[in-house]
Amino acid sequence: MNAKYTYSSEKFDLTTEQDSVINSSLNACMLLSGEAGTGKSTAGAFRLRCLIEQGVPGDSILILVPQRSLAAPYFTQIQSHDFPSSSMPSILTFGGLAQRMISLFWPIIAKNAGFSFPNKPCRFLTLETAQYYLATIFDPLLQQGYFDSLTIDPNRLYSQIIDNLNKSAVVGFPPSEISRRLTQAWAGKPSQTVIYQQGQECALLFRDYCLKNNLLDFSLQLSVFVDNLWPSLVCKEYLQQTYRHLIYDNIEEDIPVAHDVIEEWLPKFDSALLIQDTGGGYRSFLGADPQSSQRFFNLCSNKLIFSNSQVKTSELDTLESALGESLLEHKLINQYYSRNSVLPFSVLSFRFYPEVLDWVVREIQELIDKELAEPFEIAVLTPFLSDALRFSFSARFSEADIPFSTYRPSRSLSDEPAVQTILTLAKLANPGWGLKPTQQEVRSAFLGSIANCDLIRADLLSRMLYRPSDDPAKPLKSFDNVNHEMQSRITFTIGEKFESLRVWLFENSIKNTEFFDHWISRLFGEILSQPGFALHNDFDSANAVSRLIESHRKFRQVLQPTDGLQITGSAQEYIRVLEQGILAAQSLTTWNEQTNTNAVFLSPAFSFLMTNRPVKYQFWIDIGSQGWWSRLDQPLTQPFVLNRNWPDGKIWTDFDEVYNNQHTLARITAGLIRRCRSHIFMCTLGYNEQGMEERGALLMAMQNILRQVNFVREVPHV
Amino acid sequence: MFKPRLNQIEILEYEKGKMGISAVPGSGKTHTLSALAANLILREKIGNEQEILIVTLVNSAVDNFSSRIAGFIREAGLLENVGYRVRTLHGLAHDIVRERPDLVGVSNQFSIIDETESFRMIDQISTEYSRVHSEVEDFLIKPDVDRNKAHRSRNGWNSLITSLNQSFINQAKDLDLEPDEIRLRMNKHQLKDILLEMAVEVYAQYQRGLKYRNALDFADLIRLAYRALISDQQYLERLRSRWPYILEDEAQDSSRTQEQILRLLTGPDGNWVRVGDPNQAIYETFTTANPKYLRSFLKEPGVTARSLPHSGRSSRCIINLANSLVMWTRENHPVHELRSSLDLPLILPTPPGDPQPNPPDLPNAIYIKYTKSTADEEIRNVVSSIKRFLEKEENQQKTIAVLCPIGLHGEKVAQALQNAGVEIVEMLKSTQTTRTTARVLEKILLYLANPSDPKNFAQAFSTYKNSLEHNDEEKQLLQSITSTIRKCRNLEDLFYPALGSTWQTCIESSLRADQITELLGDFREKCIRWHQATILPIDQLVLTITNDLFTNPADLALGYKLALLLEFSAELHPEYELADFAMELSDISGNARKFSGFSDEDTRFDPDMHKGKVFVSTFHKAKGLEWDRVYLLSVNNYDFPSAQSDDKYIGEKWFIRENFDPQAEVLSKLDSLSKNDISQLLLPPGEATLKARLEYSAERLRLLFVGITRARESLMISWNTGKGESRIALPLESLYTIWKGTHETA
Repeated sequence: MNAKYTYSSEKFDLTTEQDSVINSSLNACMLLSGEAGTGKSTAGAFRLRCLIEQGVPGDSILILVPQRSLAAPYFTQIQSHDFPSSSMPSILTFGGLAQRMISLFWPIIAKNAGFSFPNKPCRFLTLETAQYYLATIFDPLLQQGYFDSLTIDPNRLYSQIIDNLNKSAVVGFPPSEISRRLTQAWAGKPSQTVIYQQGQECALLFRDYCLKNNLLDFSLQLSVFVDNLWPSLVCKEYLQQTYRHLIYDNIEEDIPVAHDVIEEWLPKFDSALLIQDTGGGYRSFLGADPQSSQRFFNLCSNKLIFSNSQVKTSELDTLESALGESLLEHKLINQYYSRNSVLPFSVLSFRFYPEVLDWVVREIQELIDKELAEPFEIAVLTPFLSDALRFSFSARFSEADIPFSTYRPSRSLSDEPAVQTILTLAKLANPGWGLKPTQQEVRSAFLGSIANCDLIRADLLSRMLYRPSDDPAKPLKSFDNVNHEMQSRITFTIGEKFESLRVWLFENSIKNTEFFDHWISRLFGEILSQPGFALHNDFDSANAVSRLIESHRKFRQVLQPTDGLQITGSAQEYIRVLEQGILAAQSLTTWNEQTNTNAVFLSPAFSFLMTNRPVKYQFWIDIGSQGWWSRLDQPLTQPFVLNRNWPDGKIWTDFDEVYNNQHTLARITAGLIRRCRSHIFMCTLGYNEQGMEERGALLMAMQNILRQVNFVREVPHV
Repeated sequence: MFKPRLNQIEILEYEKGKMGISAVPGSGKTHTLSALAANLILREKIGNEQEILIVTLVNSAVDNFSSRIAGFIREAGLLENVGYRVRTLHGLAHDIVRERPDLVGVSNQFSIIDETESFRMIDQISTEYSRVHSEVEDFLIKPDVDRNKAHRSRNGWNSLITSLNQSFINQAKDLDLEPDEIRLRMNKHQLKDILLEMAVEVYAQYQRGLKYRNALDFADLIRLAYRALISDQQYLERLRSRWPYILEDEAQDSSRTQEQILRLLTGPDGNWVRVGDPNQAIYETFTTANPKYLRSFLKEPGVTARSLPHSGRSSRCIINLANSLVMWTRENHPVHELRSSLDLPLILPTPPGDPQPNPPDLPNAIYIKYTKSTADEEIRNVVSSIKRFLEKEENQQKTIAVLCPIGLHGEKVAQALQNAGVEIVEMLKSTQTTRTTARVLEKILLYLANPSDPKNFAQAFSTYKNSLEHNDEEKQLLQSITSTIRKCRNLEDLFYPALGSTWQTCIESSLRADQITELLGDFREKCIRWHQATILPIDQLVLTITNDLFTNPADLALGYKLALLLEFSAELHPEYELADFAMELSDISGNARKFSGFSDEDTRFDPDMHKGKVFVSTFHKAKGLEWDRVYLLSVNNYDFPSAQSDDKYIGEKWFIRENFDPQAEVLSKLDSLSKNDISQLLLPPGEATLKARLEYSAERLRLLFVGITRARESLMISWNTGKGESRIALPLESLYTIWKGTHETA
């Protein structure tokens, strides 16, 4: 039964259930729960609209989400052409709120929070810059043999130590407790626990360094806000006066300290709408605590449940139940399928990876051509998305002329060709840095910067005119230095562009007063984006350059002369850490630029869940992979142990491992199924990307389902 | 349809408990074990989410088992691929570690480095160590030897040190000893030993290198799997419940850790079937693999011992020769300690009416060349014998193998056969298909490293085109156009012609424009695409090329695997450029690097697919395979010593002090440290060398047995003088006497 939303000049198709939420009184405190796909966030977004249409000032509304991508429905609503004009509501994560408050109240709380220079401004660290500082503290310890018993890339080690600090902050225990908690839960050889002590030591050294240098990483931002700011009357009053209405979406994906603060704050709001996705909690490895969010059941006077999915079919509902039972009950299932059941899924077996890629692209082509599916209605999901896999898919999609977008936050900036080109040009412009590029890098830079310059000509140019040993101060020679025959081979058009580039680089070495990101902007604006150069009208590359600029800006903003690096020094240091992979620019990818197109969506399953949008077709790649099942970020962190629900002193056993992994897998697959409208194609592989055979829990569970299907259909064999 | 023999039926009736099966070569153990796995599934001995675990030795056997079990299951109308898992020990260890990496301090996305990369790392560390620590040379090299010569010679100083350290590291990992633990024990026993100190330091540096690369080697995988199992009883119980039956093939080559892992997984009351032939244990030297594990298992209380003595593989005379070797060894070997090298039962021919009858005895089915010949003469003799054999039409459907004790000799034989126009099938470090694919990619990368060089382009083009099948006329055309490309001065005109001209005009050839277009057009267009792709990371470049060139799934999968290999190399060596990556591939294409692809040739080698061609391999690689006609080469007292006073040993180098095998000595000390056995630690230098000689001689007897039992119808055995000093191997001399006796009687 549809009702019409009545507060707007236009009519919207909304259900009566949604209508009742949207039209609730201006002092209602509601908890809305339901599965994904039942229209809860839509109701939340219209509630926002309703509040504003009723005259509530936008800036008195706080929209709180656990992760920025989950705010998409609210941004979409605000950006819609008929959204009533008003001041802007605040759409924040809890971390964002903390950062905003710290900026505001810094002079008041800095001393009490233990910072060494309360009279000087503070600097907020991104994940990248936190890793950078941690690396400087950490490297000498590695040399001393710390973490010798671990097999792990140092960059992952940094991120896991930071993750442990974050866990202590989101759960609300002191960082000095990390090692004790992990050690108490450890079931293996006692000698292994030394890594926890070492991790603890590094974390505390880092915390100390931050306090001494006015640096705030995510964990410190949370701790300062929760322990120092929120309890202070001045902050509390400020917040309570500023924000009178709350919409808090995906409460199950948020962290316990956020729940603590909101619990205390809730009675002070004029109205509140809290939204909970039952079955959610995908971010638990980041500290999300669905159990902690249950407290709001008792705190909200109105409780509403949305139970009708607007997305999945009854067949998909059956698959969700069957898969859930198969994963959690460990028994042969026998009740879900009858002889005539229509299956909303297919399981396809392939021996090798490339076969599966070819098949998926062909199948998508068919869906688009024959079923008239829109590309954005299709998602290709993997447990991990390696560079090789991403590239292989990209190449095939491009060849088939299928638009696609990929989302993989961990992709490193230094892998982007446009970024490599800029770094090489920067090295050429600044020979004094002593970072001499190779001939092949210079060749690639010409190929990537001069329009219509092919590899052969770029090669000739680099061989003839890149002579760092002749005059180290001028590594590039003039085009006039080559003979006429060679000039005509290279062509004068390319020669002319080369000269422009060379002269620009020569005249524009980075001066002491110039920031590297400004220099990149000038290089891009004055040369590379101009007609005749390769980045002219190349939006993908422009996007990468913009990420580079943003990454460096954030990097140098936290680096001050006290860190021993002058402005230009920061550029060299930046290039060094970027090339070493310490900076991956992970935190800089904005969501909207990746998803606002009509494109097939390729991403890890978890990232897809965090976009919270349904599609018609899903492809699950390599369901045999253990990646669907295993915990992330091992072995130094433990999201289940560093959690409020973990009893003090209890040992983490294999039973817990299996129980949690199976439940996580069941939750993820249910989440995926709830975001599918029509059909799921599942692919199994003989050999994984590394050439190994895998037979993970998802495959085993699907085999169980297939057995029942085949049994009722009396299929002799597959 | 599999029709089992009586003693195979006894095995198929197995329901639970522990059973050990001693199986002679060709007794159908793979078939029997596969049928047993299928039987257990069909008799519903396993529940939902349970699997029969089959553990075997090499990848090719995994595919073999999988397809056989699938066949039995399919015949019975059940779902394939459900209820069983076939793994090599490495594959099993990978499963165990991958599921609980936290238990052993490993991150989720660890890499596995192959033997070549591992060797390279150890080599680098060893060379540096020995350069800085001259006391190692002082200790080992004879005072009167020219050290430069020792360094320069093939398999010289560096090779010795690297190989010593590599064995030490593998052995230490198998004994689950970390460098610090070894040092601790050395200190405890106040043990000062130059070699041991070197090996421990190299081991420590190597482990540090692996850690920073987030990588494990194969030995780590196994060691860590064992650790995971002992560190969490619940995890172990879960795996026991998942795999209620374990069937182990080739159990005679079980190592200490393999035995420990499987014993843990089976548990005290579990179900474990071990099949093997102690006479085919050939991986013992400097490893902890040992047939003693199988032998003692067969005698354990509660273990049902069975045997599969019948074999339909070889003709009776070949069976007799193999049995003669067993009997001579057991009763007449002059060295008493070696008499237990080969075990009973003797091989029995199949009974009348058996579905796999023995091939008939052919006249001259066995030939043993007693007289002396040099290595080159021996190869010439073998080549001409094969040519004569293949000239007869009836032999062109026969399968033939030439087996050499070491790969280098095999390569010479392969070359000589090819020069004589005989088609060969190699299985050395990589297969022909793998090498061809790697070579094509290598030449293209080399070209892209220097894209204005016409010679590189011509080579890339011809290597790719030659990897495809062509008739003679096409071959001639290709040759012609390749030589024309070589002369093309300005390649940019070929790829990017100026406005108003066509690319064909820059080819100065007598060929017509349409012929040029047909031959070169497609490859040229691909090259233009690859030019653009050079700015991509190496793995993505290789994937682009692979996707453009290959259509066969196995080739594509191999390209994918090579791309990942190069990506890993790029991580290890950030300074690498395209030419360096091409070099990596040239190691594979040139057969210098072991690399397994995905073609049937790699995963399921079947000699019967190569009739009329000659398979050239080592004795070791031939295990599990059979041919109509087999040549065994180099059966002299260097490759097959017998602990005689004039025997020479591969591990005892000419430049090392007398009667001293450094590897044996250092491994013996490591073994003593692992057992905290002080008396063994105090043995005088050289004792371990003597013991190693006996072990090596015993293993070589078994290797000869394996060689003989590869032949179905005819068997040719010869020997050479090596570097001039070798003589006929003692066991061959005895076989010659026995064979000559029967031959003359006949």
